[in-house]
Amino acid sequence: MSMKPQAGGNRKPGGSNSGAAAASGTGGAGGGVGRQNIGRGRNNAKGPSTAVAFSGVYANMRMVHVLTSVVGNKCELKVKNGLIYEGVFKTYGPECEIVLDAAHRKSVEPNVGPRREDIVESIIFKSSDVVVVHFKDVDLNYAKKDNFTDSAVSARLNGEHKEKDLEPWDGGEQHISGSMESLDTDLSNGWDPDEMFKYNEETYGVKSTYDSSLSSYTVPLERDNSEEFLKREARASQLAEEIEASATYKARVALENDDRSEEEKYTAVVRGERELHSLNRENKYIPPSQRNREPGMSWGPGRQNSPRLVQCSPGPPTPRSGSHDYNAMDQRVVNGGAHPWPSRCPSPSSRPPSRYQSGPTNSLPPRAATPTRPPSRPPSRPSRPLSHPSAHGSSGPLSTMPKRLSSEGPPRMSPKSQRTPRPHRVASCRGGGPPPPDYMSPGASVEVSAAPLARNSPSGGTWSSVVSGAHRPRSPRQNSVGGGAPSSSCLSSPQAGTVPVDSVTASTTATSPTAANPATNLDASPIEEAKELRVLETRQNSPNANKENVKPIEASASITRSIGKGPPNMAPDHRKQIDNLRKFSEDFRLPSSSNPDTVFEPMVTKTPRDLGEKPKDQAAEKSAVDSTGLKVSMESGVNEETSTSVIVALAGSKSGTPSLSPSSAVPEQKRGPDVTSQGVQTTLPLANTAAKDKDEKEKNDPVAESVRKSTLNPNAKEFNPRVFCSPPKPATTPTLTRPQGQPSPSIVVQQPPAVYGQTMFQMYPLTPVSPGVQKSIIWKPPAMYHVQVPHMAMSQTKPYRPGKVPNMPQQRPDQHHPPGTSTMMHPATAAGPPIVAPNPAYSTQYFTCSPQQFASQPLVQQMPHYQSQAQHVFSPMIQGSARMITPPGHGQPSLVSSSTTQYGEQTHTMYVSPTPIPQQFPHPSSTLHPHPQHPQPSATPTGQPQQGNQHGGSHPAPSPVQHPQHQAAAQAMHLGNPPQQQMYSALAPTPPSMTPGPNPQSPQASFPSAQQTVYIHPQQVQHGYNPNHMAHVQQAHMQSGMVPQHHGTPSHPPTMMLMATQAPTGPQPALPQGTLNPIPVSSATHYSYTLTPVQAHHQQQM
Amino acid sequence: MAAPGPGEYFSVGSHVSCLTCLGQRLQGEVVAFDYPSKMLTLKCPSSSGKPNLSDVILINLAYVSEVDIINDRTETPPPLASLNVSKLANRARTEKEDKLSQAYAISAGVSVEGQQLFQTIHKTIKDCKWQEKNIIVMDDVVISPPYQVENCKGKEGSALSHIRKIVEKHFRDVESQKSMQRTQAQQTQKDSSLSS
Repeated sequence: MSMKPQAGGNRKPGGSNSGAAAASGTGGAGGGVGRQNIGRGRNNAKGPSTAVAFSGVYANMRMVHVLTSVVGNKCELKVKNGLIYEGVFKTYGPECEIVLDAAHRKSVEPNVGPRREDIVESIIFKSSDVVVVHFKDVDLNYAKKDNFTDSAVSARLNGEHKEKDLEPWDGGEQHISGSMESLDTDLSNGWDPDEMFKYNEETYGVKSTYDSSLSSYTVPLERDNSEEFLKREARASQLAEEIEASATYKARVALENDDRSEEEKYTAVVRGERELHSLNRENKYIPPSQRNREPGMSWGPGRQNSPRLVQCSPGPPTPRSGSHDYNAMDQRVVNGGAHPWPSRCPSPSSRPPSRYQSGPTNSLPPRAATPTRPPSRPPSRPSRPLSHPSAHGSSGPLSTMPKRLSSEGPPRMSPKSQRTPRPHRVASCRGGGPPPPDYMSPGASVEVSAAPLARNSPSGGTWSSVVSGAHRPRSPRQNSVGGGAPSSSCLSSPQAGTVPVDSVTASTTATSPTAANPATNLDASPIEEAKELRVLETRQNSPNANKENVKPIEASASITRSIGKGPPNMAPDHRKQIDNLRKFSEDFRLPSSSNPDTVFEPMVTKTPRDLGEKPKDQAAEKSAVDSTGLKVSMESGVNEETSTSVIVALAGSKSGTPSLSPSSAVPEQKRGPDVTSQGVQTTLPLANTAAKDKDEKEKNDPVAESVRKSTLNPNAKEFNPRVFCSPPKPATTPTLTRPQGQPSPSIVVQQPPAVYGQTMFQMYPLTPVSPGVQKSIIWKPPAMYHVQVPHMAMSQTKPYRPGKVPNMPQQRPDQHHPPGTSTMMHPATAAGPPIVAPNPAYSTQYFTCSPQQFASQPLVQQMPHYQSQAQHVFSPMIQGSARMITPPGHGQPSLVSSSTTQYGEQTHTMYVSPTPIPQQFPHPSSTLHPHPQHPQPSATPTGQPQQGNQHGGSHPAPSPVQHPQHQAAAQAMHLGNPPQQQMYSALAPTPPSMTPGPNPQSPQASFPSAQQTVYIHPQQVQHGYNPNHMAHVQQAHMQSGMVPQHHGTPSHPPTMMLMATQAPTGPQPALPQGTLNPIPVSSATHYSYTLTPVQAHHQQQM
Repeated sequence: MAAPGPGEYFSVGSHVSCLTCLGQRLQGEVVAFDYPSKMLTLKCPSSSGKPNLSDVILINLAYVSEVDIINDRTETPPPLASLNVSKLANRARTEKEDKLSQAYAISAGVSVEGQQLFQTIHKTIKDCKWQEKNIIVMDDVVISPPYQVENCKGKEGSALSHIRKIVEKHFRDVESQKSMQRTQAQQTQKDSSLSS
């Protein structure tokens, strides 16, 4: 900088020089003589500079470099005159001018520093004045010391950079051979820890505190041989195995132990196949999991095992379900059914059955079956005779039921569960036994048989209808449909009334409800007439049968009771029944009033009677149950007679028998006529026996009343009232009052005692009762009844009844012996025979479970009816109730339900008129069982009544036998088969059958009703199916429960045998089908099966 | 003074010896020679004897009486390395300031001992300056006149102790040097007296 002036000074002179001088000057400014480039740059800045021209010293690269290197150093400059100036070399010019900063003239005194004033800022010395410039202690490399700066490095490497070709390193043959591997395999590679420690200790005196045990971090594992340790070790190994066996572990290990090396997996370098791969694989570590792959097979097996387990589980579930059912049922249904059944059944049923079988069968065939049937349906009757045995068996159950009812009846009534179970058993027994009787009775009533069936079912329906306002419409319809029925109903009612006065009173009470009945009666009146006729016949038969039945029943303890209560025992039984009826009536009154007002109103008047009678009824119911059993047997024995017997038995048995008879008559009209009614009753009775007994009692009472009133009224009304009144009020009310759900069952149970017809009615009443409590309930009961009846009436009813009865006996024994199997059997039986069994079971269930269980199954079935008719309203309720109800008698319920659906209306009609009941029975039977197979052929030809009778008859007769057989043979099947399936099958079939059934039946009295029923059926079917399924399950349970009852009825086995032929086919297929397709298939199959059974029955009957 | 031809005269790397007009003989290795300006640069071993240092002499041949080439260069001179001009400039500025600072202290009336001490410390620790007559080292230690060890004050620590050591050593050296000078002076005086 300071140099510039000098330089400038120099330049100025040199300015005249060429641009080279300027250039040099500029270059000088750069301070680097050696750097022409810099000079150029500056030259450019300066002026015309031509990069090329350097003047003076600047042109000498070496000189520039040296002078630049010494810039900043102190120097002593001597001038010509000898003076020495000392200063810091600042720069130089082209002409080699020297610029010194802080220069001062060096004094002589060396040690004295220059003073401030002695120092000159800068001094420029012309080269011409300078002699020597001496730089001392110069570091020529000072300016070069920054060689390692980026700029220095880049400057040095500038121009030398060029991409180097990367060459793969080849370790050479030696490396490949092993030296490299030696590194991998050389464990001594590097320092051994101990060696390091030793070295450090020796060299540096550092002693390591390293502890290989890592005691600071963990606790050493103390090994010993103690069991504890061994256990823990085993546990640890187990856990290790589990972990190593886990899928996640395997997956992760697989990642780590992938045969391919990372380089192989991820490298971008393409290399030829290595031998290493195979080698690696061979020598590679195999994780335990992979090692265990084959062992894994064991895992596989384990898995397989699991499937097995699963399979097993499925198996267990069924058992479980069964067990559950049983459990649930057990106390109420199942218990009542299964355990109670066994216990009860065994003692009573077993006894009764045996007795019944012996007695009833005998009695039945001769009594009801032959007499009644011949007129109505000879063929059916023949079958009936078969059924009769079964019926007898059923009667046995019935008798058992009655016993139970009688014994349990009242108490049962109160405790639904107990009652239901018992009823179930009883019902089942009855269903097994009774149904046949019913059928028989219906068959016996054959005249009305179709009617009876219709009646029974209708009666149930009517009852339900009666009980519930909704029922009324049905009843009317049915009544209208069953136009003829009314008469029968009337007849029946009269009969009932005739048979047991007390019962009649009770029936009257029941009939009183007829208020509803009136309508139904009115509608049903025509039917009723027919029914009545039938009923009358049935009644007549019933009385006979009842008497006979009663006797056989009497033979059986319960039966004996019922029987005793029945015609023979009328007096004592009547008293008891009357007491019961009174109680019931009282109970019923409350519910009845609440329940079906209309019915109640009329009924109410009657209800009082019923009340009074109800107690009686209850007793009667018990007796009725017994009587029902008796009836069943009786009915089974003789179709008409059976029906009559049933009715009679009901009436008689109930002593309430009158009531029973009336009720039975009503039921008979519906059921009783149906015999199916009995069969239904049997089924229903069996299932519903308790409820039926109650119902029967109620019915009986109502019936009796109805009979009376009916007599007063054209039977139709009476029947309706009866149905309504008796079933709903008495049964419902009582049941309701006591246990609504249970009450109905109980009522049902009670009804069953009365007679199957009664039972049917009872069932209806039960439903009514429940309806009383809830319409739905009432409906349900009807449905139940219907269903049962239908089933009963249908193939199931008869077969079931027989089957049930027989099955019941067998099953009971089985159940007793093997509850599970028995239960299973019951369900199975319930499906086919099951229906019979179910009926009883249902009856029992009704008693116990009636609300729920019946509701489930029965409801479904009933639902349809109700739905179609008034059921819709009730449907929900009914379904629920029906299911509840149905379950007890599932065999019945399903049947009943179907029948009920049909019957629902029919029942109404039936209820309306006694005839309707028979009609209903026919319908159910015909519709359900008969219709498809027998009913239509046999029944159709014969006519509705005949059909009904036939159906009823056939059903009863065959059913009992078949059922027993079915149960026996099919028991295993049944057992194996889920109850539900059976139930479903029964239910499903029933609805279809119902539809068809109604038609056949409908043709008779019930076409309208039938149609309605038909319509209903679809609905019912649908509803029923769903509910049915539910119900089926329950039913199955119920059935299981029923089975025990059957067991209870030893007598049935014989019937079973008879039934077995038919029933087995029916039940078995039904079961499988049911299993396969619960609803359709089952239904179809069931129907077919049921039909088959029925047909068989019919055939037998025929 | 005839200007030697480009190839005749001094080639780089040659050792030459010349005698200035002032009678001073200079000898060294030719580093550079600029014929137009007759300027010759010689590199000579350091006068202080330090191996890594050297003295550079710029001679104006116009004032040299005789030039003798001791030996011509035997090999081509090494390539010139680039120079860090900024570094050289900083060194120049620093040297200037130091000289000015020293001049300031001298101007302030600091004793010679003080100046010497300052120079000694400055050789070891660059971060030192005059504040009036006090020497400030590292901005922590203040050395006030008469600049003895005990005069070193500041925050106790390694810095203070270190500086004290430097001061102590300086005076010790100074004493020894003075004694030597005295002896020499005495001897010279004796010699002179003797001679005289």
